[in-house]
Amino acid sequence: MEGCPRNRETIGPKLLDLIPQGRKWYQEDKNNIDQEKKLELRLGPPGGDEEDRSAMKKNNNTETRNIKMESEDKSFQGFNSNHFSSSNKTSQKRTAPGPVVGWPPVRSFRKNLASTSSSKLGNESSHGGQINKSNDDDEKQVEPKREGMFVKINMDGVPIGRKVDLNANNSYEQLSFAVDKLFRGLLAAQRESSGGEGEEKPIIGLLDGKGEFTLTYEDNEGDKMLVGDVPWQMFVSSVKRLRVIKSSEISSALTFGCSSKQEKMRH
Amino acid sequence: MTQDRSEMSEDDDDKQSPPLDLRSAAIAEPSSSSSSSSVVVVVDSTPNKSRNCISSSSSGSLTSQPFPDHVLENVLENVLQFLDSRCDRNAASLVCKSWWRVEASTRSEVFIGNCYALSPARLTQRFKRVSSFVLKGKPRFADFNLMPPDWGANFAPWVSTMAKAYPWLEKVDLKRMFVTDDDLALLADSFPGFKELILVCCEGFGTSGIAIVANKCRKLKVLDLIESEVTDDEVDWISCFPEDVTCLESLAFDCVEAPINFKALEGLVARSPFLKKLRLNRFVSLVELHRLLLGAPQLTSLGTGSFSHDEEPQSEQEPDYAAAFSACKSVVCLSGFRELMPEYLPAIYPVCANLTSLNFSYANISPDMFKPIIQNCHKLQVFWALDSICDEGLQAVAETCKELRELRIFPFDPREDSEGPVSEVGLQAISEGCRKLESILYFCQRMTNAAVIAMSENCPELTVFRLCIMGRHRPDHVTGKPMDEGFGAIVKNCKKLTRLAVSGLLTDQAFRYMGEYGKLVRTLSVAFAGDSDMALRHVLEGCPRLQKLEIRDSPFGDAALRSGMHRYYNMRFVWMSACSLSRGCCKDIASAMPNLVVEVIGSDDDDENRDYVETLYMYRSLDGPRKDAPKFVAIL
Repeated sequence: MEGCPRNRETIGPKLLDLIPQGRKWYQEDKNNIDQEKKLELRLGPPGGDEEDRSAMKKNNNTETRNIKMESEDKSFQGFNSNHFSSSNKTSQKRTAPGPVVGWPPVRSFRKNLASTSSSKLGNESSHGGQINKSNDDDEKQVEPKREGMFVKINMDGVPIGRKVDLNANNSYEQLSFAVDKLFRGLLAAQRESSGGEGEEKPIIGLLDGKGEFTLTYEDNEGDKMLVGDVPWQMFVSSVKRLRVIKSSEISSALTFGCSSKQEKMRH
Repeated sequence: MTQDRSEMSEDDDDKQSPPLDLRSAAIAEPSSSSSSSSVVVVVDSTPNKSRNCISSSSSGSLTSQPFPDHVLENVLENVLQFLDSRCDRNAASLVCKSWWRVEASTRSEVFIGNCYALSPARLTQRFKRVSSFVLKGKPRFADFNLMPPDWGANFAPWVSTMAKAYPWLEKVDLKRMFVTDDDLALLADSFPGFKELILVCCEGFGTSGIAIVANKCRKLKVLDLIESEVTDDEVDWISCFPEDVTCLESLAFDCVEAPINFKALEGLVARSPFLKKLRLNRFVSLVELHRLLLGAPQLTSLGTGSFSHDEEPQSEQEPDYAAAFSACKSVVCLSGFRELMPEYLPAIYPVCANLTSLNFSYANISPDMFKPIIQNCHKLQVFWALDSICDEGLQAVAETCKELRELRIFPFDPREDSEGPVSEVGLQAISEGCRKLESILYFCQRMTNAAVIAMSENCPELTVFRLCIMGRHRPDHVTGKPMDEGFGAIVKNCKKLTRLAVSGLLTDQAFRYMGEYGKLVRTLSVAFAGDSDMALRHVLEGCPRLQKLEIRDSPFGDAALRSGMHRYYNMRFVWMSACSLSRGCCKDIASAMPNLVVEVIGSDDDDENRDYVETLYMYRSLDGPRKDAPKFVAIL
């Protein structure tokens, strides 16, 4: 999250949409980026900028050093961030003290209360949106770091969804095995509880339409497609989530639009 | 929050054992046996524990008399199994090798305060019959984004090791661990008798993992998700509980930010006759809560969900919420109120008189709304709220709640320059009214030494004192002086104090007091305080019981860090971020103390000043540095 070039890259495109120059400019000028991040419109309480630690970090260091120096004078009273001396690490000159990361020491879910007290609908979208946002951000940030790409995968008849790491697989065949591994036990358990046989059977034929189940996916444009038609890398770059459906229901599953679950989403 | 405060607080390991001597904790080392005789008898022939020294007689002749020693061990086993406290058990295990062995074979509850202090293999080698397991991971400052995500504290290696070693495992209690859905799936698969899962401040999993646990752990009694980040995988996990009568006694999911299937929940509650604690999330409305209450009058602890309506109030008659609450005669612990509609608050009047624990910390209630409620809560022992109740509300608490043991006041608007509706006035009132107070966490914008001193004098039972003056370096707002005397009085007068968090303008003098008088202090949190290295030195050279030290943004440097080298092995961890430490010094300490893991976190792209240490996190470890450290962590 902080201090990691990748983080800047994920934030970068939002700014670069407005500015025609490429990444090179972005990386050369760190200080401006920090300033622009401040100006960026985001959802969140004022001053609650705990995600933006890379900007804060430099500020923190500066403040700490200032505090140390000023306390040596023993004339220190109250917080004072306007004194920048030559031992500054950064050339960032700010006229007002910025919010400090993690201060006051209140956990993030307690920081949203100010927005929650507004109308209920407003609550759900801002509060929920915020939580979702941070979750998504966490996942997005976590994934590149781990070099894993997890997408959700659900299976018809199994209430429990899983996540599969696409980067751990290099081909459709491997993915097919992974899906079998994830769901075989759950499917058997589900069948057992609904009175069928609980024996674990391998889930095969996901890609060729010959098995009981077929693997489908939803891409970044919201379209539902059969897995296996496009080159693997193209698939990986466009897939958003996966779904294992009954082969008998292929045509209906792909024709109709959003699933009911999607409609249930808060925002 | 439940009546059992230790769930939420950091102080549940208060009654600590004397720190384990690292030598005797290592498995392979034989302890020196006491006797003068030189006879060595192998009593226990198990291969891994071959060097047991038990001398049999003083005659010096070689005797092999396993019988009395077996008897001794059997007796020991029968006696030691009654020892519950880990403090006692740790002490018993140090007596001699035989006691160590027997204690290890009879310990069923294991507590690990730092997941990186030892490896899972060491745990399973030493303790063979563990049924209950408490594990803590990340340091507390990680809660405030002072640590990048993906730092570690993965549950995976623990669960996979325990899956093979302890198939009878019943209880897992994790705090600040990274737990994945796969970990939960493995847990659900590996422990057929699994009964209690408690996840506090954890993350990395979602509703799909919870669904697997709900579905497969047929003997599940406790599923408590507390202040954890749970991703919404759009899974109806409530429906995944088995169809028949459940063993559920406690179900807490107030932190789960995902809608739930209410009908399924109603059915679940209906078939859970043993359910005593139920904490709903904000997606359960008042109307739904009402229906649940009617079906579950046996509840003792209730998290009320949103406490508001989804839609416009219906034209038909509104349910009689107060009646539903009156039916719940056993409710003693109340929380929730996530999106409180204050006009419905009077519905809880019927239970107020019975309440021992009340959590309003999500409810923006004004003093006028609050006072009528609190005036009925004579038995209250634990009270959490937002500062929106103002000093006036705190005065009302002080007037009524004479049994109060724990108070937490959180800021509604947690910014440095916010209004600050509570102040020294509220603190003073509490100190005068609630003489039995043991634990306080208080966020404010203004404070005086006088009020803090008053609390130190009025509340001798204080074990936890955490005062957060939100504006950094703020002095006493009446006298303009530093807050040294206030905190000094706390450590001087509160003889039972084990945990302290300081704030406001503090000079080295405050730390001199802490070092000198903080005899029982185990946990110390410092932020934006102190003038020089001397402050930290006072603490490290004093505070004999210090275990957990967390410092941020304070002017402490290498000399101070070095001054504590004599004691780092006896501490659980030291955290110092944005201080004045150099990499060289940290390296020296790492070299001098091989059983100390010294992590330097972050700032690896800091070309300008590579020597500067942004964050230092160091802790003792029996098994050396961890192998799962991410790139931004340098282990020196």
